[in-house]
Amino acid sequence: MIRDLLHEIHSTLRQNKLRTALTGFAVSWGIFLLIALLGAGNGLMNSFMGNIADFISQNVSVSGWMTSKPYAGYKENRLIQMDGEDVLYTESDKWGGVIGDITLETPSTSVTLSLDGKTVSGAIVGVMPEYLEQNKNKMAVGRFVNQMDIREKRKVIVITLAQAKELSPKDPEGVMGRWIQAGNISFRVAGIIYTDERSFSRYCPIPYSTYKAIYDSSDKIESITFTVNGPTTLEEHRAFEDKYLKGLKKRHEVDPDDRRAFWVRNGYTDNLEMTKGSRILRIALWILGLLTLVSGIVGVSNIMLITVKERTHEFGIRKAIGAKPGNILSLIIAESITITAIFGYAGMLLGMIGCQVMDKTIAQDSVDLGFEKIQMLVNPSVGLDTALEATLLLIIAGTVAGIIPAWKAARVKPIEALRAE
Amino acid sequence: MALIELKDINKTYNNGQPLHVLKGIDLQIDKGEFVSIMGASGSGKSTLLNILGILDNYDTGTYTLNGTLIKDLSEKQAADYRNRMIGFIFQSFNLISFKTAVENVELPLYYQGVSRKKRHDMAMEYLDKLGLTQWASHFPNEMSGGQKQRVAIARALITHPQIILADEPTGALDSKTSVEVMDLLTRLNKEEGMTIIVVTHESGVANQADKIIHIKDGVIGKIEENEKHDAWGGSLIK
Repeated sequence: MIRDLLHEIHSTLRQNKLRTALTGFAVSWGIFLLIALLGAGNGLMNSFMGNIADFISQNVSVSGWMTSKPYAGYKENRLIQMDGEDVLYTESDKWGGVIGDITLETPSTSVTLSLDGKTVSGAIVGVMPEYLEQNKNKMAVGRFVNQMDIREKRKVIVITLAQAKELSPKDPEGVMGRWIQAGNISFRVAGIIYTDERSFSRYCPIPYSTYKAIYDSSDKIESITFTVNGPTTLEEHRAFEDKYLKGLKKRHEVDPDDRRAFWVRNGYTDNLEMTKGSRILRIALWILGLLTLVSGIVGVSNIMLITVKERTHEFGIRKAIGAKPGNILSLIIAESITITAIFGYAGMLLGMIGCQVMDKTIAQDSVDLGFEKIQMLVNPSVGLDTALEATLLLIIAGTVAGIIPAWKAARVKPIEALRAE
Repeated sequence: MALIELKDINKTYNNGQPLHVLKGIDLQIDKGEFVSIMGASGSGKSTLLNILGILDNYDTGTYTLNGTLIKDLSEKQAADYRNRMIGFIFQSFNLISFKTAVENVELPLYYQGVSRKKRHDMAMEYLDKLGLTQWASHFPNEMSGGQKQRVAIARALITHPQIILADEPTGALDSKTSVEVMDLLTRLNKEEGMTIIVVTHESGVANQADKIIHIKDGVIGKIEENEKHDAWGGSLIK
């Protein structure tokens, strides 16, 4: 029966090739735009995610900042300086495993690094071994600060590749293991951090204990960074942040409602927000594409209405010789679906080719942001799931487009239809 | 028992002003009869034919076809009865223009759900019977009026209907072809015992029938037995 139906459709569609083609074009165009939009959107998201993923670490980082409200006799705009006590607070048992690995960073001390008469500026900062991982830095050569360094307050330093190049242009990696001067103190270079184009960093990590002993006996802490286990949703993360900050605010005599006294960067919620953002972008693109497609569907529906009117007499004949209303209904809807599906698939194919063309052209361009280059589109394409969704969409669209004309055709009385010309 | 039994059929059209078209029609047609219905335009003969063909419904009375009461049918049921019990022949042939002769003949069987192969074979058989084998794959616009009407007759016969309803079957044909078509219908009646009802306003055509029913102003005027085919001198030539 399906074959018969297809045969019926074929013989009617070839009746008016130009009209069929023009109608189909609207659908092709709609699907083409939908696929191209989604492809470009995916490319944009891939690019965005790829660029941002390097910055966003899965952890929470807290720093002291400036109060926004007067409290307990203090005026507003007081600078908050965290210290070792805050680290103990973070390490305390009361978090019950929610806070995982903890690392910290001391305030930095600017120094001039020198070796063999060459100098470069740097900023000494005291860190824990986890600093490397938490900051997503990579070693170019050597090793990072380790537990042994911390315990023994070793005078070791990790410098950046850029600094190493300044100190030893001919053999940057040769700086490894050598003693360099930082101000009036000597450190042995334990490792060199890889610096890519986007990094300006001139921070030179040394063991936290060493920093405390040499530069700052008052144990000031610039930031505490830790992983969090447990909270999953945005709300849970916010609740945890509030709970964590409540204790800090109490310690530093800050108004509990002061939102500015501490600066919190939460990688988890950033990530959640980004996922949400990408979902919204995707939905927006779908809506745009669908709206375009709607005009195609209206076109099909319109043409089917005209066709039905023209073919009223034919439907009268069919009814007289035994076609049931359901036969006529399914004939028209099947015709509508056929037009929509065939041209829709053509559009989809073109859309996918369009994505490939985008990949080969626009996606190859990159935008120079000064400190780094960003590729605008990364792998702009749509997946198989999208193609399947679009297929389903086409069938639904075809049905929707055919329903009203089909209903009109099925409803017409045979004698009236036979009388029509 | 009569094949067709009409009892006090009334039909009124309500297009603005009520128009009482059929005013109590009583009629019996037996199996194997060849009947013509004659009347001027506006006499109600077309309405009667539409009711007989289950294309239109009636207001009061009863219509029984082969023991089945035809009343208040759903569209679907009506279509099914039309398909199985009635073969139509129209003045303007009513072939589907974008289908070939054989596809047109197949169509009633398509709506019965007969397989592609079987209905093609049957359609070819009927086209052969009517001498149209070589025209099977031609489209209607490639055929003459007589050929088209024979295709239409093949289409009407293919479902083995109880009755053939012909509405001015020669109206669009020249005299010679008219004779051929009427002879064909006569042969179907005599040789295969097919019940045939022809609506016409041409006396020559009506004369081919064994019984002539005159309808005037929505009532049956007289029923003429015409076994000898001598009404109006018996000539079909216009």
